[in-house]
Amino acid sequence: MIDSLILQQGSDWRAQAEVFDEIFFVFLALGTLIGTIVVAYTLWNVYKYRDDGGEPKEGFDAPEVGELPTGQGGPKAKKLFLSFGLSAIVVISLVVYAYGILLYVEDGPDADEDNIEIVVEGYQYGWDYEYPNGHTETGELVVPADTRIDISVTSRDVWHNFGSSELRIKSDAIPGDTNTNWFSVSSEEVQAQGGEATFTVECFELCGPGHSAMEGQITVIPQDEWETWYEGTDGDSSNVEGGASVDGAASVNAAAIGGVSA
Amino acid sequence: MSELPPTTSVKRWFVTTNHKDIGILYTITALFFLLFGGVLALLIRMQLWDPTSQILSGLAYNEAVTAHGLIMVFWFLSPFGFGFANYFVPLQIGADDLAFPRLNALSYWMYLFSGILLGISFFQGGTLDAGWTMYAPLNIPMYTPSIGSTGAVLALFMFVVGITASTVNFLTSIHHSRAEGMGIMDMPMFTWSILATVWMMLFAFAALLAVGLILASDRVLGSVYFSATEGGSLLWGHLFWFFGHPEVYIVFFPALGVMLELFQTFSGRRLVGRKWVIIAICLISVQSFLVWMHHMFLTTINLEIKTLMMATTIGISLPFDLVVFSLIYTLIKGRIQFTTPFLFAFGALLLFILGGITGVFLGAIVLDYEFRGTYWVVAHFHYVMFGGATALFGGAYYWFPKVTGKMYDELLGKIHFVVFFIGFNAVYFSMFLGWETPRRVFEYNPEFQIYHQFGTIGAFVLGLSFFIMFYNFAKSYVSGEPAGDNPWDYSRTAEWAISSPPPLENWPNRPSYASGKLEFVKDYVPDGGPAVKADADGDAATDGGDSHEEHITEYPYWDKHPSHASIWPFAISLALGILLLGLSGFSESVTFILGESVAQTGVEISNPVYPVLIVVGLIGMIWSGVKWGLEDFYAPPSEFAERWPFEGVEKVKLGMWFFLASDVIVFGAFLSAAIFVRYNAGWMTWEPLTESLPGLINTFVLITSSFTVILALVAAHRKSRQGLLASLGATIGFGFVFLAIKMWEWNHEIFDRGVTINANAHGDPIQASIYYVTTGLHGIHVVIGLLIAIFLFVRVYQGHYLDDERPIEYFGLYWHFVDIVWVFIFPLFYLF
Repeated sequence: MIDSLILQQGSDWRAQAEVFDEIFFVFLALGTLIGTIVVAYTLWNVYKYRDDGGEPKEGFDAPEVGELPTGQGGPKAKKLFLSFGLSAIVVISLVVYAYGILLYVEDGPDADEDNIEIVVEGYQYGWDYEYPNGHTETGELVVPADTRIDISVTSRDVWHNFGSSELRIKSDAIPGDTNTNWFSVSSEEVQAQGGEATFTVECFELCGPGHSAMEGQITVIPQDEWETWYEGTDGDSSNVEGGASVDGAASVNAAAIGGVSA
Repeated sequence: MSELPPTTSVKRWFVTTNHKDIGILYTITALFFLLFGGVLALLIRMQLWDPTSQILSGLAYNEAVTAHGLIMVFWFLSPFGFGFANYFVPLQIGADDLAFPRLNALSYWMYLFSGILLGISFFQGGTLDAGWTMYAPLNIPMYTPSIGSTGAVLALFMFVVGITASTVNFLTSIHHSRAEGMGIMDMPMFTWSILATVWMMLFAFAALLAVGLILASDRVLGSVYFSATEGGSLLWGHLFWFFGHPEVYIVFFPALGVMLELFQTFSGRRLVGRKWVIIAICLISVQSFLVWMHHMFLTTINLEIKTLMMATTIGISLPFDLVVFSLIYTLIKGRIQFTTPFLFAFGALLLFILGGITGVFLGAIVLDYEFRGTYWVVAHFHYVMFGGATALFGGAYYWFPKVTGKMYDELLGKIHFVVFFIGFNAVYFSMFLGWETPRRVFEYNPEFQIYHQFGTIGAFVLGLSFFIMFYNFAKSYVSGEPAGDNPWDYSRTAEWAISSPPPLENWPNRPSYASGKLEFVKDYVPDGGPAVKADADGDAATDGGDSHEEHITEYPYWDKHPSHASIWPFAISLALGILLLGLSGFSESVTFILGESVAQTGVEISNPVYPVLIVVGLIGMIWSGVKWGLEDFYAPPSEFAERWPFEGVEKVKLGMWFFLASDVIVFGAFLSAAIFVRYNAGWMTWEPLTESLPGLINTFVLITSSFTVILALVAAHRKSRQGLLASLGATIGFGFVFLAIKMWEWNHEIFDRGVTINANAHGDPIQASIYYVTTGLHGIHVVIGLLIAIFLFVRVYQGHYLDDERPIEYFGLYWHFVDIVWVFIFPLFYLF
């Protein structure tokens, strides 16, 4: 928890998912703790001061119909401010902590020359991706591992939201506007998923009757495989080469692997 | 027609203007919409049972999601709270009624008819399916083409019109009619919450009115605001959430007020740190307008502004902390009685604590980035908004004995609470567990199916629990035990000091808190003169509180009985409903074929039904509006009242100022929209569409007409009928000159320069839309002003207003306002 404040530099980056999991855990732990204390304290007092039909305790001053509220204060208000002060300290320190992490998430790890910039364009109901060389893909984004991927997200028609829960990235896709985000998947992760890591992309903003089914995929493959594949593209759309996007990418993958072995 | 029929007569409920009757109407109508929205919720839950099978089409699912949201937020939560506010705020402040009883009835009927319009929209090819947030450009006809979508937008517009009238009414009432001795800090906490609510509503709903008008213009007239890529989408986001965030507190505060009352009544303790709670509530009301962009953290807003919004958002949670702690500490050392109302209020506190904690998560931007568009958000706002509404059900049990005179069944009430509380947490807590599901998606990851199925079961339990309440209320109303005037041991507020149900005019004698507690004092009424305040000994004294001397001259009919019945609120609302129903199908049934000039422009009507409805509605509105104006309706202001901070401002004038304040926000939103879009398009790339000379002439014409209104007021003051007719006539003349120049200008733009509402031969189409819509809204204000002026002119001719020039003065306020707005419009559209 503490060392997260020392944010990693250079190649020693942390994926957004990792950052999110940490801060979510901190909030969840503190939230549960404080919530439990407050609710337990309240329930206990409500039980303790229930009206058991007995004689009113000393100092109990029953209000009357038609009275104007009398001035309050004294020890009770002091307790009120103590609790208020404590909650303010907790909340403000949480925010300061979260703000430090926000700055990292906004900028991402240091940029180097290997960054790949992808233009993501939402439409009813799918995603188009444009690579730096002008090559476009529909539905599936194929990117290399261990590389920072910068995405510029926009929309062709209505307001969408490009997001992947597993990668913990999300960006509003707004017509006439371009939003930026970044992600990066390590080669260990790719290895763990059997040489090809896939992540579901969903739309997180209601965009029409087909919103529910508006899915895409991010596929991460090892760097060398990806480079071979990328050299094979020449600015054409994957649709021109034929085949549905996912099948197309699979065959591209096979070709890339073949290329490596040859 | 000022005689009010008995409650058993059906006619009474159409003509009543009494705040208690209208409170009952609000409550029952709101409960109907709870069922309507609830059925839609169950449809949603049934669809979520299995992500792989579909019982609703994608379109139908979106319609259910949208209508559920709109109905619950607008047609259930607020009106339910305001049903209680209608009934109990006048009682708690010691007033006879709200300040403007007919306006209050009008608000209710607008609410009812707007709900009916929304219901009709389901049968106009399907209702809106863009979500209750209606993000642009999904909300324009290109993407949501059904007539019903337009119908739903217009229904919302009508609802907001009614709300605005209600807001002005409550603000005027609370600031103008508090009983003698009840300072603003002495008001009961429920009334305080309502006061904070209506202050927020005054400005927030004005923004919604503006954005609703722009959307209606896009949908009905074909302007292109929200399809513009020059910031159209973000424009919607900003304007909607500028309304939308205060709206969260607007629906929560009435419930908070109920909690604050019930915690005191059922613990026998006075609120801890009362002054600080009031300060916290005021702080929240102001701050609520400074946090809206936290709904837009994932848009392209820059980091600096996002950081600022994060700080204000977290900041707003702090006053809430204080209120929550105050509620908890109030219970300590009390004698807590676990009645049904208390259980609901206490349950609401627990739910709100959970909703509040999960809200802090959303305030941290990094977490919000991932929670955006997921069920975390859905769960959070249900815990906050519906969790708050839980207290309102407590309020329903709490005040049921007062309204009906019968006691509800305590055992059934407790069973209702238990079933409700279990169902509530089953449906909404399961949403936290399956939070990674995207909102408004039914083909979700099967991994989360177990949570959603659990939630669906919970939803049915929750829905069922309300039938226990309905049964309880129905049974108790028919055969419950008589409740007595005050069934609670530790109640404090004035509604418990009178009979159950209270009499039509509320009080046995004038309520006064001058001695520090509620007393009913008998004022001395000399034969043929006004009431004179009684002093402490009951003798007549002449140091009459706030300016009652003036009221003698202001109200020459001072000895008349207050009126309680008018059919015109119903008639105007019905006519507006018909007009809006007609407008919903306008663009589908009427086509303009643009020719070389007006004479060559053809109109094609494919379906005469909608245009006929428009004409009928318009005629009905003007007719019933005139009848309203002519009706002899007497609603006396309280003679001795606390009015801080508006002492010395007459009732109607105060109402007029409140209305104009909200209209400032409406025009502010339109002008901000113009500036925002132009900024996004590149400020210097736009040249004025129009020549500046006609605009300049019109500026002088309007300013001159402002002077003639002042002359009219002077003439009325001097009781000069001739002078009044001449100056009012001149004002009307200038108004028509303004409109004539405007028509020439539009004619010139359309036929000589090729600039229509959605086409622009000289630049971006959006520039043309902004020009026509903004100046058009101003033009509509001029037309309404002229209609009122003509009405006044005819009445002056018949010899009215010479004894009482106030209507001329209030018209003048409005007319000056319309002229001032033009002073802002002129440079923006004609000079730069």
